[in-house]
Amino acid sequence: MRRVSPADCAQIVAAVQRGDVRQTARLISRIEDDDESATPVLQSLYRVGGRTPVIGITGPPGAGKSTLVDQLAGSYRLRALSVAVLAVDPASPFSGGAILGDRVRMARHNTDPGVFIRSMSARGALGGLARAAGDALTVLDAMGKDVILVETVGVGQSEIDIMRHATSVLIVQTPAGGDAVQAVKAGILEIGDVFVVNKADTPGADRSVAALREAVEFRFDPHNAAAWHPPVLKTQATDSSGVSDLVEALERHAAHLAAHPAALRQRLLMRARVRVTELVSEALRRRYLKSDSLDAAYAALLDDLVDRRTDPHEAARRLLLSSE
Amino acid sequence: MNLPGTGKIRCLLGMLGTDVHSKGIRTLAQLLRDRGVEVIYLGEHNTAAGMVNALLAEDADVVGLSFSTATYVHYTRDLLDKMKAAGVDDVPVMLGGLIHRDDEPELRAIGVKGIFGPGSTTDQIVDFLQKVTGKRLHAAREPG
Repeated sequence: MRRVSPADCAQIVAAVQRGDVRQTARLISRIEDDDESATPVLQSLYRVGGRTPVIGITGPPGAGKSTLVDQLAGSYRLRALSVAVLAVDPASPFSGGAILGDRVRMARHNTDPGVFIRSMSARGALGGLARAAGDALTVLDAMGKDVILVETVGVGQSEIDIMRHATSVLIVQTPAGGDAVQAVKAGILEIGDVFVVNKADTPGADRSVAALREAVEFRFDPHNAAAWHPPVLKTQATDSSGVSDLVEALERHAAHLAAHPAALRQRLLMRARVRVTELVSEALRRRYLKSDSLDAAYAALLDDLVDRRTDPHEAARRLLLSSE
Repeated sequence: MNLPGTGKIRCLLGMLGTDVHSKGIRTLAQLLRDRGVEVIYLGEHNTAAGMVNALLAEDADVVGLSFSTATYVHYTRDLLDKMKAAGVDDVPVMLGGLIHRDDEPELRAIGVKGIFGPGSTTDQIVDFLQKVTGKRLHAAREPG
């Protein structure tokens, strides 16, 4: 295990804060490789961070998320705002490899120093994605960009969990996404702050908007004056139509949160809950599941379990007590 | 927690200039993914400057370029020059596609570390990646 001296740590923290691309990129690689030497840096960055709004973008594969992210980044650049993007793509559950292709849609920003784009693989295996993404967002936050966009495919719990890190969540659907029943089934209505039906030029777009709006309205409580009313918009990311309306809707959501500090606080508390729970569950997995060398008491407990002298519920209770 | 040399290999794949023959590099991207490589796929029509910036932000371990047009020496030199200027010339560059044997000495002289033309096998490329990155791929061999 590589150790990081306090001086090295301070140097990396300073480099990230002045937006040094290479040092930032290397730090994110260490987060991805679960390199514990990055921890002191992350600790320092977290404590001074928290100013950058994080917009989460999720939806099914092929909905146009990356193209929309490209358009959003372009819109923010026109307003002279700098942008950081974290683009998460699935990993192969068989090889652990991945094709991270989101940058193809964002190539025009490659030569713009005001845009930092980083691709991240979901790495399959035993969770940890939301933890790695959370830490990466801590780093992007510290870079001092004006806005962070985080994009994931909306399949699987860990991808959805990443949205818990966002201050505004944008759900992208297409007219091919099915009717209102599908939207309700997907279980994403609960987390969306802004909904978009992309590919507005394809047949059925208006019907999809209507179905989605109906599903969103069903959840909206008109008697709660502090409740945010999630808008449902139409975009065509390939030619940027609807994108300025979308940016405006995201700004209205940010303003709503600013005007309702209690709601914002609630959201940040949930984010804190998710982050600490991720770390705890990963530590437990590392200790009880991934470790090759088991301590004697745990090995004995497993023997008892196999021989039915105890049960999984009792064993778990004892482990939790002993790990305090 | 990972031991040294067990992190994922991150490989940037892309094409420079106006070459549109992307079938080969798309095939390679899938083959490498199936061996456990994380491919950051940039597609066609990249500029050298854009590719270097992507390399910096992605912290890739290796760069792969594919060419099916005759301009590869020019474009490769341009990329290597810009990598040097950005201080990332330590990242190995490999070439694939239609590379004429006569050009190989010149390409190697300007810093290209691997050349994989027609007839190259996935094993050869995977072995190269493991060698130049010092990292091991758990799915390095074809399953079965």
